[in-house]
Amino acid sequence: MTLETGMQELLMEFLKTLPINIIIIILSAALGLLFAVLLTFVRLKRIPVISQLADLYVSFARSVPGLILLFIAYFGIPKVLPLIGLGTYDISPMHAAIISMGFYHSGYISEVFRPAYLAVEKSQHEAADSLGYTPMQKFFRIILPQMVPVALPGYGNALVYLIHDTSLIFAIGIVDIMGTAELSIARSYGTNQILIYFIIALMFSAMCFTTDGLVRKLEKRVAIR
Amino acid sequence: MHISYNQKEVLKGINLSVEKGEVVSFIGPSGTGKTTLLKCINYLEKPQQGEIQIGDLHLNYQSLSKQDILKLRRKTAMVFQMFNIFKHKTVIQNVMDAQIAVQKKSKNEAYAMSLKQLENVGLKDKINEYPSRLSGGQLQRVGIARGLALEPELILFDEPTSALDPELVEEVLKVIEDVAKSGMTTLLVTHEMDFAKRISDKVVFMENGHIVEVGTPEQIFEKSVNVRTRQFLKKIYAEQDQQKLNIKGG
Ligand SMILES: Nc1ncnc2c1ncn2[C@@H]1O[C@H](COP(=O)(O)OP(=O)(O)OP(=O)(O)O)[C@@H](O)[C@H]1O
Ligand SMILES: [Mg+2]
Repeated sequence: MTLETGMQELLMEFLKTLPINIIIIILSAALGLLFAVLLTFVRLKRIPVISQLADLYVSFARSVPGLILLFIAYFGIPKVLPLIGLGTYDISPMHAAIISMGFYHSGYISEVFRPAYLAVEKSQHEAADSLGYTPMQKFFRIILPQMVPVALPGYGNALVYLIHDTSLIFAIGIVDIMGTAELSIARSYGTNQILIYFIIALMFSAMCFTTDGLVRKLEKRVAIR
Repeated sequence: MHISYNQKEVLKGINLSVEKGEVVSFIGPSGTGKTTLLKCINYLEKPQQGEIQIGDLHLNYQSLSKQDILKLRRKTAMVFQMFNIFKHKTVIQNVMDAQIAVQKKSKNEAYAMSLKQLENVGLKDKINEYPSRLSGGQLQRVGIARGLALEPELILFDEPTSALDPELVEEVLKVIEDVAKSGMTTLLVTHEMDFAKRISDKVVFMENGHIVEVGTPEQIFEKSVNVRTRQFLKKIYAEQDQQKLNIKGG
Protein backbone atom coordinates (compact mmCIF):
# COMPACT_ATOMS: atom_id res chain seq x y z
CA MET A 1 0.00 0.00 0.00
CA THR A 2 1.49 3.32 -1.03
CA LEU A 3 1.39 6.28 1.26
CA GLU A 4 -0.95 8.08 -1.10
CA THR A 5 -3.67 5.46 -1.32
CA GLY A 6 -3.36 4.90 2.41
CA MET A 7 -3.96 8.56 2.91
CA GLN A 8 -6.94 8.54 0.57
CA GLU A 9 -8.53 5.61 2.35
CA LEU A 10 -8.03 7.26 5.67
CA LEU A 11 -9.67 10.46 4.50
CA MET A 12 -12.60 8.46 3.11
CA GLU A 13 -13.04 6.81 6.47
CA PHE A 14 -13.12 10.15 8.18
CA LEU A 15 -15.60 11.58 5.72
CA LYS A 16 -17.83 8.55 6.22
CA THR A 17 -17.99 9.06 9.96
CA LEU A 18 -18.19 12.84 9.90
CA PRO A 19 -22.00 12.79 9.45
CA ILE A 20 -22.27 11.13 12.86
CA ASN A 21 -20.66 14.15 14.48
CA ILE A 22 -22.79 16.50 12.44
CA ILE A 23 -26.02 14.71 13.33
CA ILE A 24 -25.14 14.72 17.01
CA ILE A 25 -24.22 18.39 16.87
CA ILE A 26 -27.43 19.40 15.10
CA LEU A 27 -29.75 17.30 17.25
CA SER A 28 -28.15 18.26 20.55
CA ALA A 29 -28.13 21.92 19.48
CA ALA A 30 -31.86 21.65 18.71
CA LEU A 31 -32.62 19.83 21.97
CA GLY A 32 -30.47 22.31 23.89
CA LEU A 33 -32.19 25.29 22.30
CA LEU A 34 -35.65 23.95 23.06
CA PHE A 35 -34.79 23.12 26.64
CA ALA A 36 -32.94 26.41 27.17
CA VAL A 37 -35.98 28.38 26.04
CA LEU A 38 -38.10 26.52 28.57
CA LEU A 39 -35.47 26.92 31.29
CA THR A 40 -35.01 30.61 30.67
CA PHE A 41 -38.75 31.20 30.69
CA VAL A 42 -39.11 29.42 34.01
CA ARG A 43 -36.14 31.25 35.51
CA LEU A 44 -37.41 34.66 34.44
CA LYS A 45 -40.95 33.98 35.60
CA ARG A 46 -39.74 33.60 39.18
CA ILE A 47 -42.15 30.81 40.00
CA PRO A 48 -41.40 29.72 43.57
CA VAL A 49 -39.40 26.46 43.86
CA ILE A 50 -39.53 25.73 40.10
CA SER A 51 -37.40 28.75 39.22
CA GLN A 52 -34.87 27.88 41.92
CA LEU A 53 -34.68 24.33 40.61
CA ALA A 54 -34.06 25.70 37.12
CA ASP A 55 -31.28 27.94 38.46
CA LEU A 56 -29.75 24.98 40.22
CA TYR A 57 -29.97 22.89 37.08
CA VAL A 58 -28.18 25.58 35.06
CA SER A 59 -25.36 25.83 37.59
CA PHE A 60 -25.03 22.05 37.56
CA ALA A 61 -25.01 21.72 33.78
CA ARG A 62 -22.42 24.46 33.48
CA SER A 63 -20.14 23.19 36.20
CA VAL A 64 -19.92 19.48 35.37
CA PRO A 65 -17.54 18.51 32.56
CA GLY A 66 -19.27 17.26 29.42
CA LEU A 67 -17.52 13.92 29.59
CA ILE A 68 -19.00 13.20 33.01
CA LEU A 69 -22.49 14.13 31.82
CA LEU A 70 -21.99 11.81 28.90
CA PHE A 71 -21.15 8.91 31.24
CA ILE A 72 -24.04 9.79 33.53
CA ALA A 73 -26.45 9.71 30.60
CA TYR A 74 -25.08 6.53 29.09
CA PHE A 75 -24.70 4.47 32.23
CA GLY A 76 -27.22 6.26 34.45
CA ILE A 77 -30.35 6.48 32.32
CA PRO A 78 -30.80 2.70 31.91
CA LYS A 79 -30.56 2.38 35.69
CA VAL A 80 -32.91 5.25 36.45
CA LEU A 81 -35.71 4.51 33.97
CA PRO A 82 -36.87 1.30 35.69
CA LEU A 83 -36.76 3.07 39.04
CA ILE A 84 -39.32 5.61 37.89
CA GLY A 85 -41.42 2.90 36.28
CA LEU A 86 -40.57 3.51 32.65
CA GLY A 87 -39.52 -0.03 31.90
CA THR A 88 -36.09 -1.35 31.17
CA TYR A 89 -34.26 -0.64 28.01
CA ASP A 90 -30.73 0.20 27.13
CA ILE A 91 -30.01 3.59 25.78
CA SER A 92 -28.04 3.68 22.56
CA PRO A 93 -24.77 5.61 22.68
CA MET A 94 -26.14 8.02 20.07
CA HIS A 95 -29.14 8.85 22.22
CA ALA A 96 -27.01 9.21 25.31
CA ALA A 97 -24.70 11.57 23.43
CA ILE A 98 -27.52 13.73 22.10
CA ILE A 99 -29.26 13.93 25.45
CA SER A 100 -26.18 14.72 27.50
CA MET A 101 -24.70 17.18 25.01
CA GLY A 102 -28.10 18.83 24.53
CA PHE A 103 -28.67 19.32 28.23
CA TYR A 104 -25.13 20.47 28.78
CA HIS A 105 -25.55 23.01 25.98
CA SER A 106 -28.92 24.19 27.34
CA GLY A 107 -27.29 25.30 30.59
CA TYR A 108 -24.82 27.42 28.70
CA ILE A 109 -27.28 29.10 26.41
CA SER A 110 -29.86 29.73 29.11
CA GLU A 111 -27.09 31.79 30.67
CA VAL A 112 -26.89 33.67 27.35
CA PHE A 113 -30.66 34.13 26.87
CA ARG A 114 -31.45 35.33 30.38
CA PRO A 115 -29.16 38.39 30.32
CA ALA A 116 -30.27 39.10 26.74
CA TYR A 117 -33.86 39.27 27.94
CA LEU A 118 -32.89 41.46 30.87
CA ALA A 119 -30.92 43.74 28.55
CA VAL A 120 -34.11 44.91 26.85
CA GLU A 121 -35.03 48.11 28.62
CA LYS A 122 -38.08 48.37 30.80
CA SER A 123 -39.20 51.29 28.65
CA GLN A 124 -39.78 48.90 25.74
CA HIS A 125 -42.05 46.75 27.90
CA GLU A 126 -43.94 49.78 29.13
CA ALA A 127 -44.50 51.12 25.64
CA ALA A 128 -45.86 47.81 24.40
CA ASP A 129 -48.04 47.36 27.48
CA SER A 130 -49.40 50.86 27.18
CA LEU A 131 -50.39 50.19 23.57
CA GLY A 132 -52.39 47.14 24.59
CA TYR A 133 -50.19 44.31 23.31
CA THR A 134 -50.92 40.94 24.86
CA PRO A 135 -47.89 39.43 26.63
CA MET A 136 -47.33 37.10 23.67
CA GLN A 137 -47.53 39.90 21.12
CA LYS A 138 -45.17 41.98 23.21
CA PHE A 139 -42.66 39.18 23.43
CA PHE A 140 -42.61 38.18 19.79
CA ARG A 141 -42.94 41.63 18.19
CA ILE A 142 -40.95 43.82 20.55
CA ILE A 143 -38.79 41.93 23.05
CA LEU A 144 -37.46 38.95 21.09
CA PRO A 145 -36.24 41.00 18.11
CA GLN A 146 -34.22 43.11 20.55
CA MET A 147 -32.91 40.07 22.44
CA VAL A 148 -31.61 38.25 19.38
CA PRO A 149 -28.82 40.69 18.49
CA VAL A 150 -27.66 40.67 22.12
CA ALA A 151 -27.76 36.89 22.41
CA LEU A 152 -26.23 35.87 19.09
CA PRO A 153 -22.52 36.32 19.86
CA GLY A 154 -22.81 34.31 23.08
CA TYR A 155 -24.96 31.73 21.36
CA GLY A 156 -22.35 31.36 18.63
CA ASN A 157 -19.69 30.72 21.27
CA ALA A 158 -21.86 28.12 22.95
CA LEU A 159 -22.28 26.32 19.62
CA VAL A 160 -18.52 26.24 19.20
CA TYR A 161 -18.14 24.70 22.67
CA LEU A 162 -20.79 22.15 21.77
CA ILE A 163 -18.89 21.20 18.63
CA HIS A 164 -15.69 20.79 20.65
CA ASP A 165 -17.43 18.64 23.20
CA THR A 166 -18.55 16.16 20.58
CA SER A 167 -14.89 15.14 20.42
CA LEU A 168 -15.66 13.22 23.63
CA ILE A 169 -18.44 10.99 22.41
CA PHE A 170 -16.13 8.20 21.24
CA ALA A 171 -15.62 7.53 24.94
CA ILE A 172 -18.94 5.68 25.03
CA GLY A 173 -18.11 3.71 21.92
CA ILE A 174 -19.46 5.86 19.10
CA VAL A 175 -17.33 5.56 16.01
CA ASP A 176 -17.33 9.18 14.93
CA ILE A 177 -14.29 10.99 13.55
CA MET A 178 -12.48 10.72 16.87
CA GLY A 179 -13.39 7.05 17.08
CA THR A 180 -12.06 6.52 13.57
CA ALA A 181 -8.89 8.34 14.51
CA GLU A 182 -8.30 6.17 17.56
CA LEU A 183 -8.87 2.98 15.57
CA SER A 184 -6.56 4.10 12.82
CA ILE A 185 -3.84 5.08 15.25
CA ALA A 186 -4.12 1.72 16.94
CA ARG A 187 -3.90 -0.07 13.60
CA SER A 188 -0.68 1.74 12.66
CA TYR A 189 0.78 1.31 16.16
CA GLY A 190 0.88 5.06 16.63
CA THR A 191 3.12 5.84 13.68
CA ASN A 192 0.64 8.25 12.04
CA GLN A 193 -0.61 9.76 15.27
CA ILE A 194 0.42 13.35 14.66
CA LEU A 195 -0.91 13.38 11.12
CA ILE A 196 -4.27 12.00 12.21
CA TYR A 197 -4.74 14.41 15.07
CA PHE A 198 -3.85 17.17 12.70
CA ILE A 199 -6.57 16.04 10.28
CA ILE A 200 -9.07 15.88 13.15
CA ALA A 201 -8.07 19.38 14.23
CA LEU A 202 -8.73 20.64 10.72
CA MET A 203 -12.12 18.96 10.62
CA PHE A 204 -13.23 20.46 13.92
CA SER A 205 -11.92 23.79 12.92
CA ALA A 206 -13.84 23.61 9.63
CA MET A 207 -17.09 22.86 11.50
CA CYS A 208 -16.52 25.72 13.93
CA PHE A 209 -15.58 28.06 11.14
CA THR A 210 -18.77 27.31 9.23
CA THR A 211 -20.89 27.78 12.34
CA ASP A 212 -19.17 31.01 13.22
CA GLY A 213 -19.67 32.30 9.70
CA LEU A 214 -23.37 31.50 9.78
CA VAL A 215 -23.83 33.18 13.15
CA ARG A 216 -21.94 36.26 11.95
CA LYS A 217 -24.16 36.49 8.89
CA LEU A 218 -27.21 36.29 11.09
CA GLU A 219 -25.78 38.93 13.41
CA LYS A 220 -25.46 41.32 10.49
CA ARG A 221 -29.03 40.65 9.42
CA VAL A 222 -30.61 41.25 12.82
CA ALA A 223 -28.43 44.14 13.96
CA ILE A 224 -30.42 47.11 15.23
CA ARG A 225 -29.66 50.16 13.16
CA MET B 1 -57.22 55.29 44.18
CA HIS B 2 -54.38 54.15 46.44
CA ILE B 3 -50.95 52.86 45.64
CA SER B 4 -47.92 51.98 47.71
CA TYR B 5 -44.49 50.47 47.23
CA ASN B 6 -42.97 48.46 50.04
CA GLN B 7 -45.59 49.77 52.39
CA LYS B 8 -44.73 53.36 51.52
CA GLU B 9 -47.91 54.87 50.30
CA VAL B 10 -47.27 56.86 47.15
CA LEU B 11 -50.80 57.80 46.15
CA LYS B 12 -53.04 58.34 49.10
CA GLY B 13 -56.60 58.49 47.93
CA ILE B 14 -56.91 60.32 44.65
CA ASN B 15 -60.32 61.26 43.40
CA LEU B 16 -60.71 63.05 40.13
CA SER B 17 -63.15 63.23 37.29
CA VAL B 18 -62.40 64.53 33.84
CA GLU B 19 -64.93 65.43 31.17
CA LYS B 20 -64.67 64.16 27.64
CA GLY B 21 -62.50 66.52 25.62
CA GLU B 22 -61.10 68.22 28.69
CA VAL B 23 -57.41 69.13 28.95
CA VAL B 24 -56.07 68.60 32.46
CA SER B 25 -52.55 69.42 33.59
CA PHE B 26 -50.87 67.99 36.67
CA ILE B 27 -48.21 70.01 38.42
CA GLY B 28 -46.34 69.48 41.66
CA PRO B 29 -42.95 68.76 43.19
CA SER B 30 -40.76 65.84 42.16
CA GLY B 31 -41.59 62.50 43.73
CA THR B 32 -45.18 63.51 44.38
CA GLY B 33 -46.74 60.67 42.45
CA LYS B 34 -47.74 62.34 39.20
CA THR B 35 -46.14 59.69 37.01
CA THR B 36 -47.51 56.98 39.24
CA LEU B 37 -51.00 58.41 38.87
CA LEU B 38 -50.82 58.39 35.07
CA LYS B 39 -49.45 54.86 35.09
CA CYS B 40 -52.28 53.68 37.30
CA ILE B 41 -54.74 54.87 34.70
CA ASN B 42 -53.46 52.35 32.17
CA TYR B 43 -52.34 49.83 34.78
CA LEU B 44 -48.61 50.11 34.16
CA GLU B 45 -48.64 50.54 37.92
CA LYS B 46 -51.02 48.46 39.95
CA PRO B 47 -53.10 50.31 42.52
CA GLN B 48 -54.11 48.24 45.55
CA GLN B 49 -57.59 49.61 45.47
CA GLY B 50 -59.71 52.01 43.57
CA GLU B 51 -62.02 52.33 40.62
CA ILE B 52 -61.77 53.84 37.23
CA GLN B 53 -64.36 54.72 34.65
CA ILE B 54 -63.55 55.68 31.09
CA GLY B 55 -66.62 56.18 28.94
CA ASP B 56 -68.71 53.05 29.38
CA LEU B 57 -65.85 51.01 30.82
CA HIS B 58 -66.14 50.80 34.57
CA LEU B 59 -63.51 48.80 36.42
CA ASN B 60 -62.45 48.00 39.94
CA TYR B 61 -58.69 47.64 40.38
CA GLN B 62 -59.06 44.82 42.85
CA SER B 63 -60.84 42.55 40.43
CA LEU B 64 -59.26 43.20 37.04
CA SER B 65 -59.10 40.33 34.60
CA LYS B 66 -56.45 40.16 31.90
CA GLN B 67 -59.09 41.21 29.41
CA ASP B 68 -60.01 44.24 31.55
CA ILE B 69 -56.40 45.34 31.60
CA LEU B 70 -56.17 45.13 27.83
CA LYS B 71 -59.45 47.02 27.44
CA LEU B 72 -58.23 49.75 29.74
CA ARG B 73 -54.93 50.04 27.89
CA ARG B 74 -56.63 50.09 24.52
CA LYS B 75 -58.77 53.06 25.49
CA THR B 76 -55.75 55.08 26.56
CA ALA B 77 -52.49 56.09 24.95
CA MET B 78 -49.38 57.12 26.83
CA VAL B 79 -46.55 59.42 25.82
CA PHE B 80 -43.45 58.86 27.92
CA GLN B 81 -40.80 61.17 29.27
CA MET B 82 -38.06 59.10 27.64
CA PHE B 83 -40.12 58.52 24.45
CA ASN B 84 -39.95 54.70 24.66
CA ILE B 85 -39.79 54.27 20.92
CA PHE B 86 -39.24 50.70 19.71
CA LYS B 87 -35.57 50.64 18.81
CA HIS B 88 -35.66 47.91 16.21
CA LYS B 89 -38.42 49.45 14.11
CA THR B 90 -38.46 52.35 11.72
CA VAL B 91 -40.58 55.38 12.43
CA ILE B 92 -43.53 54.15 10.42
CA GLN B 93 -43.21 50.60 11.77
CA ASN B 94 -43.34 52.04 15.28
CA VAL B 95 -46.65 53.66 14.47
CA MET B 96 -48.05 50.75 12.45
CA ASP B 97 -47.22 47.81 14.68
CA ALA B 98 -49.83 48.15 17.39
CA GLN B 99 -52.52 48.85 14.81
CA ILE B 100 -51.69 45.54 13.16
CA ALA B 101 -51.12 43.54 16.36
CA VAL B 102 -53.70 45.06 18.66
CA GLN B 103 -56.37 46.44 16.37
CA LYS B 104 -55.99 43.74 13.69
CA LYS B 105 -55.91 46.30 10.92
CA SER B 106 -54.58 45.33 7.51
CA LYS B 107 -51.10 46.51 6.62
CA ASN B 108 -52.48 48.99 4.13
CA GLU B 109 -54.96 50.50 6.54
CA ALA B 110 -52.30 50.77 9.24
CA TYR B 111 -49.88 52.34 6.79
CA ALA B 112 -52.38 54.95 5.67
CA MET B 113 -53.31 55.86 9.23
CA SER B 114 -49.65 56.03 10.27
CA LEU B 115 -48.75 58.24 7.36
CA LYS B 116 -51.56 60.61 8.26
CA GLN B 117 -50.51 60.79 11.91
CA LEU B 118 -46.84 61.25 11.04
CA GLU B 119 -47.74 63.99 8.62
CA ASN B 120 -49.67 65.75 11.38
CA VAL B 121 -46.63 65.76 13.63
CA GLY B 122 -44.37 66.92 10.78
CA LEU B 123 -42.39 63.72 10.24
CA LYS B 124 -43.50 62.70 6.79
CA ASP B 125 -39.95 62.78 5.45
CA LYS B 126 -38.60 60.59 8.29
CA ILE B 127 -40.93 57.62 8.07
CA ASN B 128 -38.25 55.14 7.06
CA GLU B 129 -35.58 56.29 9.50
CA TYR B 130 -34.50 54.22 12.48
CA PRO B 131 -34.88 55.79 15.95
CA SER B 132 -31.13 56.03 16.48
CA ARG B 133 -31.02 58.67 13.75
CA LEU B 134 -33.67 60.97 15.20
CA SER B 135 -33.47 63.83 17.68
CA GLY B 136 -35.34 63.70 20.97
CA GLY B 137 -37.95 66.08 19.66
CA GLN B 138 -38.55 63.90 16.63
CA LEU B 139 -38.70 60.76 18.76
CA GLN B 140 -41.28 62.31 21.01
CA ARG B 141 -43.39 63.27 18.02
CA VAL B 142 -43.21 59.65 16.83
CA GLY B 143 -44.43 58.67 20.30
CA ILE B 144 -47.39 61.00 19.99
CA ALA B 145 -48.25 59.77 16.49
CA ARG B 146 -48.00 56.17 17.69
CA GLY B 147 -50.48 56.83 20.49
CA LEU B 148 -52.92 58.81 18.38
CA ALA B 149 -52.91 56.24 15.58
CA LEU B 150 -54.80 53.90 17.91
CA GLU B 151 -57.57 56.49 18.25
CA PRO B 152 -57.67 56.36 22.04
CA GLU B 153 -60.34 58.01 24.14
CA LEU B 154 -57.75 59.46 26.43
CA ILE B 155 -54.13 60.47 25.99
CA LEU B 156 -51.63 60.63 28.85
CA PHE B 157 -48.50 62.75 28.60
CA ASP B 158 -45.84 62.25 31.28
CA GLU B 159 -43.45 65.20 31.20
CA PRO B 160 -43.17 64.88 27.43
CA THR B 161 -40.59 67.64 27.08
CA SER B 162 -38.44 67.37 30.17
CA ALA B 163 -35.87 65.06 28.56
CA LEU B 164 -35.44 67.38 25.59
CA ASP B 165 -32.79 69.94 24.79
CA PRO B 166 -34.31 73.40 25.25
CA GLU B 167 -34.35 74.18 21.55
CA LEU B 168 -36.44 71.06 20.83
CA VAL B 169 -39.14 71.72 23.42
CA GLU B 170 -41.16 74.10 21.29
CA GLU B 171 -41.74 71.70 18.36
CA VAL B 172 -43.15 69.10 20.74
CA LEU B 173 -45.31 71.54 22.69
CA LYS B 174 -46.77 72.70 19.41
CA VAL B 175 -47.87 69.14 18.59
CA ILE B 176 -49.30 68.60 22.07
CA GLU B 177 -51.24 71.81 21.73
CA ASP B 178 -52.72 70.59 18.45
CA VAL B 179 -53.76 67.35 20.15
CA ALA B 180 -55.29 69.18 23.10
CA LYS B 181 -57.23 71.47 20.80
CA SER B 182 -58.48 68.61 18.64
CA GLY B 183 -60.99 67.60 21.30
CA MET B 184 -58.95 64.66 22.59
CA THR B 185 -59.27 64.16 26.33
CA THR B 186 -55.77 64.97 27.53
CA LEU B 187 -53.97 64.46 30.82
CA LEU B 188 -50.59 66.16 30.97
CA VAL B 189 -47.93 66.05 33.66
CA THR B 190 -45.57 68.94 33.09
CA HIS B 191 -43.12 71.40 34.54
CA GLU B 192 -43.82 73.84 31.68
CA MET B 193 -46.02 76.18 33.69
CA ASP B 194 -46.71 78.72 30.96
CA PHE B 195 -47.74 75.97 28.62
CA ALA B 196 -50.03 74.35 31.19
CA LYS B 197 -51.61 77.71 31.88
CA ARG B 198 -52.23 78.32 28.21
CA ILE B 199 -53.73 75.02 27.08
CA SER B 200 -55.46 73.54 30.15
CA ASP B 201 -59.11 73.60 31.06
CA LYS B 202 -58.21 72.39 34.50
CA VAL B 203 -55.01 72.31 36.54
CA VAL B 204 -54.34 69.84 39.34
CA PHE B 205 -51.71 70.64 41.93
CA MET B 206 -50.39 67.51 43.66
CA GLU B 207 -48.09 67.06 46.60
CA ASN B 208 -47.04 63.98 48.58
CA GLY B 209 -49.52 61.70 46.92
CA HIS B 210 -52.47 63.99 47.50
CA ILE B 211 -54.38 66.33 45.26
CA VAL B 212 -53.98 69.67 46.99
CA GLU B 213 -55.98 71.86 44.68
CA VAL B 214 -57.93 71.62 41.43
CA GLY B 215 -59.04 74.62 39.45
CA THR B 216 -58.94 76.58 36.24
CA PRO B 217 -55.51 77.79 35.21
CA GLU B 218 -56.47 81.23 36.42
CA GLN B 219 -57.51 79.99 39.86
CA ILE B 220 -54.35 77.97 40.35
CA PHE B 221 -51.74 80.22 38.81
CA GLU B 222 -53.06 83.62 39.80
CA LYS B 223 -55.70 83.49 42.48
CA SER B 224 -54.76 80.50 44.57
CA VAL B 225 -55.19 81.08 48.28
CA ASN B 226 -53.61 77.75 49.10
CA VAL B 227 -50.24 78.26 50.80
CA ARG B 228 -48.71 75.12 49.36
CA THR B 229 -49.71 75.93 45.80
CA ARG B 230 -48.31 79.41 46.09
CA GLN B 231 -45.08 78.22 47.62
CA PHE B 232 -44.58 75.68 44.83
CA LEU B 233 -45.27 78.20 42.08
CA LYS B 234 -43.00 80.75 43.66
CA LYS B 235 -40.19 78.25 43.75
CA ILE B 236 -40.75 77.19 40.14
CA TYR B 237 -40.84 80.76 38.87
CA ALA B 238 -37.69 81.62 40.80
CA GLU B 239 -35.95 78.63 39.20
CA GLN B 240 -37.12 79.68 35.77
CA ASP B 241 -35.86 83.23 36.26
CA GLN B 242 -32.57 81.85 37.45
CA GLN B 243 -32.30 79.77 34.28
CA LYS B 244 -33.10 82.73 32.09
CA LEU B 245 -30.44 84.76 33.85
CA ASN B 246 -27.96 81.96 33.35
CA ILE B 247 -28.72 81.84 29.65
CA LYS B 248 -28.39 85.60 29.27
CA GLY B 249 -25.26 85.71 31.38
CA GLY B 250 -23.80 82.98 29.14
N1 LIG C 1 -41.20 51.30 41.15
C1 LIG C 1 -41.10 52.01 42.27
N2 LIG C 1 -40.70 51.43 43.42
C2 LIG C 1 -40.60 52.12 44.56
N3 LIG C 1 -40.89 53.43 44.68
C3 LIG C 1 -41.30 54.07 43.58
C4 LIG C 1 -41.43 53.40 42.32
N4 LIG C 1 -41.85 54.31 41.42
C5 LIG C 1 -41.98 55.46 42.07
N5 LIG C 1 -41.66 55.33 43.37
C6 LIG C 1 -41.71 56.38 44.39
O1 LIG C 1 -43.00 56.90 44.34
C7 LIG C 1 -42.99 58.30 44.53
C8 LIG C 1 -43.74 58.98 43.42
O2 LIG C 1 -43.02 58.80 42.22
P1 LIG C 1 -43.47 59.45 40.83
O3 LIG C 1 -42.50 59.04 39.82
O4 LIG C 1 -44.89 59.12 40.60
O5 LIG C 1 -43.33 61.00 41.12
P2 LIG C 1 -43.49 62.22 40.13
O6 LIG C 1 -44.49 63.12 40.73
O7 LIG C 1 -43.77 61.73 38.75
O8 LIG C 1 -42.07 62.90 40.18
P3 LIG C 1 -41.19 63.59 39.02
O9 LIG C 1 -41.67 64.98 38.89
O10 LIG C 1 -39.80 63.51 39.54
O11 LIG C 1 -41.37 62.78 37.78
C9 LIG C 1 -41.54 58.71 44.63
O12 LIG C 1 -41.25 58.90 46.00
C10 LIG C 1 -40.78 57.53 44.09
O13 LIG C 1 -39.55 57.41 44.75
MG1 LIG D 1 -42.65 61.74 36.94
